[in-house]
Amino acid sequence: MLCIPAIEKTAIRNATLFLAVFALLFAAGVASGQESTQMTPDPASATLPLTSKSPEAQRLVVEAMRVGLDLVEQEQCDVMLRQAINLDPDFALAHELLAQNSLDPAEQVLENGKAWALRGHTSPAERLLIEWWQDATDHKLISAITKMNDLLSQYPHDKWVVFMATNWLITQTQYDRAIAVYERSGITDSAGLLNNMGYTYAYMREFDKAFALMDKYVAALPKDANPQDSYAEILRMAGSFNKSLEHYRASLAIDHQFYSSQFGIADTYSLMGDQVRARQEYESAFKQFPLPELHRVQWQTREAETFIREGDLKGADQAFQAIADYAHSKHMSQVEADAYRQMAMYQPDPKQALQFISKAEAALKEGKNSMPAAIHQEQAQILRAHLEAALKTGNRQTVHTLLVHLSEMAASSNDRLIDAAYQGAAGAVAFSQHKYDEAISHLEEDKNNPLSLKLLAAAYQKIGYSAGAKRTSETLANLNDPTLEQAMVVPPFRKCYEDPSCTGNVKAVSLKK
Amino acid sequence: MFAWVWFALVPYIVQAKQLAIVTDTGNPATNLTASDLVKIFNTHTRSWPDGKPITVVLRDPSSSDMQLVLRKVFNMTPDQARAFIQAHRGSIMVADSDEAVIHFVSSTRGAVGVIDLFSLTKDVNVLKIDGKLPVEQGYLLRGN
Repeated sequence: MLCIPAIEKTAIRNATLFLAVFALLFAAGVASGQESTQMTPDPASATLPLTSKSPEAQRLVVEAMRVGLDLVEQEQCDVMLRQAINLDPDFALAHELLAQNSLDPAEQVLENGKAWALRGHTSPAERLLIEWWQDATDHKLISAITKMNDLLSQYPHDKWVVFMATNWLITQTQYDRAIAVYERSGITDSAGLLNNMGYTYAYMREFDKAFALMDKYVAALPKDANPQDSYAEILRMAGSFNKSLEHYRASLAIDHQFYSSQFGIADTYSLMGDQVRARQEYESAFKQFPLPELHRVQWQTREAETFIREGDLKGADQAFQAIADYAHSKHMSQVEADAYRQMAMYQPDPKQALQFISKAEAALKEGKNSMPAAIHQEQAQILRAHLEAALKTGNRQTVHTLLVHLSEMAASSNDRLIDAAYQGAAGAVAFSQHKYDEAISHLEEDKNNPLSLKLLAAAYQKIGYSAGAKRTSETLANLNDPTLEQAMVVPPFRKCYEDPSCTGNVKAVSLKK
Repeated sequence: MFAWVWFALVPYIVQAKQLAIVTDTGNPATNLTASDLVKIFNTHTRSWPDGKPITVVLRDPSSSDMQLVLRKVFNMTPDQARAFIQAHRGSIMVADSDEAVIHFVSSTRGAVGVIDLFSLTKDVNVLKIDGKLPVEQGYLLRGN
């Protein structure tokens, strides 16, 4: 997250950092030549080498990782990585880190290509890291896992390797494995790991453990904003909205430029049901902060969702259309396609939805400034949205054709998001055909999506599995993530719960306050 | 805020398990049918086609990973599986971690083990089941 640190307030911290950075550089066995000589590192003490001809570029990368991972100052991190690359254009790992961390889709594509081209000129460990990430991007999951574990076996106690491994595992929803890697590392002094492990427990809905780690994260960095920001987000996930707002405000009190917290306040009001206040907060934030492209779109999308939450679909159309137009003007094809796909998803009229699907497909076809993986994932999401619209129109042939296409994409990609799109779509089709056992087997593979969770609860109910229906309904009713699917499904689901005459929900659900 | 934006992060709720059947890298086998796998794990098949004796390495039957194996391969409860393993010591072994399974399999010719896919290392080979890898749709040992 972007946050320009106030230099004047960190004089003492900078002195400490200076020593810490040098300690890290020495510990890292930084290689000043083209090749690292560390071929067989001792796993007990080995740290990831950084191969560059420029010691200053190496220092900048170490500092960028600390700023990016511990403090979550994402744009500041990117600035440092760009500086490192300016000093040494052949610094492969710096290119890779920037490709993964950049908030500019065009830069992601460019840097990814450079890192791949330079991988042969770096140390074996850095090459392994670059190839692991490339395999992950290319959906070569088995190869990616093997390379990650190979790197981990060489550097099990290197905090950056452990951070990157746990982070990737989290994106793969492998929470147990992420925690095992973290615990085995024995690392207790990494603020970034405390932060991400806190989120891991929160994703597992183990909030007591998440809060315990957040307490440690706040204690480790009491003068930084992100610990308070993370604490706030996890409290919101747990449904503690007022406490969440307190922590977001505490974050802004520490650093009034930490815009994630200002937008976090807006997101929280939206999830609390106060859409007018939410939009005031979003607009205030947009006026205050210049944003990198992807963050701008992210929060414009959240603001658009406020209209969905209050049932104002015209307002939502205007807001999403503005996002699509903006993305088009910036040549961000996947982002533009995503805006149109989301417009299709909430249209009550399936014919209208199909028009937006066509626009999404046309935008994606342009493919400007988009990583291939992002294009494939978006294509699968569009197919799913298309299938949902076709289901509403009762066009069985189209539904069948789209499902076959999605199935083929999922079978050939090894991509978690693409597979989830297929499973959710297949579950919806089976449900519509009253094949509830078959629907359940698919929908259980797409439990991250409120649309699928709602169908899953209903399918459990249909087959008489009341405990499953109750558990799933409870999960759904207590979901507080600011997504379009949550905006479409959860508020009406909760309203039905509170209405004694509504028979659509499992009535034993308890809402956590 | 969560650090390091990588791909699309869609958190919440654990995904279905994907278990891998692994052998030592010297084992030429690349594929088993589900029926072959059941016969091997039930010790009805005790050697590979080249004559090497088979040793099966599992995690504890009460571990979460093993529930899928018990249901889809052994068709037993954890207690029944524990008794079965006890009765076939020598042919079936229990390891206390995926790393221990990999260590045993990689250093024992003819060994076959079960691990979580995300524990996979280059020290072992992954077998297809009915022609499918663990990442593919319809793979036997995938589910909750």
